[in-house]
Amino acid sequence: MIDSYNYAFLDEGSKREIRRSILKAVAIPGYQVPFASRELPIGRGWGTGGIQLTLSLIGPDDTLKVIDQGSDESVNAVNIKKFVKMCTNVPCTTRTQDATIVQTRHRVPEVPMRNDQILVLQVPLPEPLRIVEPKEEVTKRMHAELDYAPIWLQLYESLVKYGKVTISTEYPCMVEDRYIMNPSPIPKFDNPKLHEAECLYLFGAGREKKIYAIPPHTKVVSLAFDDVPFEKENFKGKKCRLCGSTDTYLDEIYDAVTGERYYQCSDTSYCKEVRG
Amino acid sequence: MKQLHTFDDIFDTQKTFRLLLDAMANPSRVVSIQEGAEKLYGSKPEMLTLAMTLLDKNTGFYTFGHTELDEQILLLTHAEKKTLEEADYVFVTEEGHLPEAFAKAKRGTLENPHTSATLIIGCSGERNVSCSISGPGVDGVATFQSPAVLEEAFRLRTEQAYEYPQGVDMIFVSPEGELFCIPRMVKKEEQ
Repeated sequence: MIDSYNYAFLDEGSKREIRRSILKAVAIPGYQVPFASRELPIGRGWGTGGIQLTLSLIGPDDTLKVIDQGSDESVNAVNIKKFVKMCTNVPCTTRTQDATIVQTRHRVPEVPMRNDQILVLQVPLPEPLRIVEPKEEVTKRMHAELDYAPIWLQLYESLVKYGKVTISTEYPCMVEDRYIMNPSPIPKFDNPKLHEAECLYLFGAGREKKIYAIPPHTKVVSLAFDDVPFEKENFKGKKCRLCGSTDTYLDEIYDAVTGERYYQCSDTSYCKEVRG
Repeated sequence: MKQLHTFDDIFDTQKTFRLLLDAMANPSRVVSIQEGAEKLYGSKPEMLTLAMTLLDKNTGFYTFGHTELDEQILLLTHAEKKTLEEADYVFVTEEGHLPEAFAKAKRGTLENPHTSATLIIGCSGERNVSCSISGPGVDGVATFQSPAVLEEAFRLRTEQAYEYPQGVDMIFVSPEGELFCIPRMVKKEEQ
């Protein structure tokens, strides 16, 4: 552990501000609380929101797991893990069950999270209305007035053009019938895991300077029309080539030499566990 | 040099914050911040523990003229003493102050609901009233033993008829350091 920095890198004033924002975010599920995102030794947009949340939460009793697109071993995950370990000395794990804090980019683990665990999600674009309205001032007012017609229209247009809603990740959802929220770029497959979950979800957007949250047992409904229900990815007839799982989120891998396509679990630690 | 307390600015605040977060995310769960409070001093160490965890120069507080607590918070956190209408954290040390606290505390705006106040309410350690609540963080309806002041707080909050997402969040803490939270979305259910 490097002692020349404060414990968990951030100064205590920064942590306090982030902690205050986290508490507000938990009290107003789905609402994006602005915060003064700090400089970190990695570029904004590389998980700095998630890192700041993790650094403000973490203590000597914690065990950390970091995943990137479901993998414990990808560059983003490994570097974040090394960085947090360097300034806290907390143990790291790849087993979801052993972690108290899981920081993730683009996936929710396959193993159901418990109430004593916190899932920290890295968010590039927290504003679900940005796609229909470029001005922050206006989107804030739209949230205040529950003016969500443009995003419903966008879903409808997608339906008219393509016969289905074509959003694959960052599929917007309604939190407690009040706020439309961007669940971060998790696949639609993971959206149902946010609803009435056991664990606390914290979302951090470092570049956009926003924190939001979903407490346990909160109503989170993916947007859909009465006659066109929400559909998650369908992997019917496919299975993981390594562990044989048929109920997980699968990555498609293409072999350019043989032209073969095969599938394997995106959650690498779950896949390893199934294989024993 | 006289040492006022042994509360660690890094590790004790982290521990207290995690307990507070646990309570805020799971209303009806009672956590204990006694370990931190024992390291502080004065007549309200449990409130001082929360002040040390949440307050600094960027926040304003109000204590209804509790001189001792005022001085301790100013000394330890450098937070600013504000009026009740402007304070981010309102320390309610006596139940009698609750009506004024609810009437005047910041409720935030529809655009910026996070600018509302948080009420830190001192309560008795005796939890002898059965209370049922529902809302985010609660699995269906949860019934728990609460201090009598919670009933009054719910009544006063209802009187304010906040338009959600406006509102105030409540943190109840007893002299023994037992703490639970009632965020603005959590409702009282009739038993």
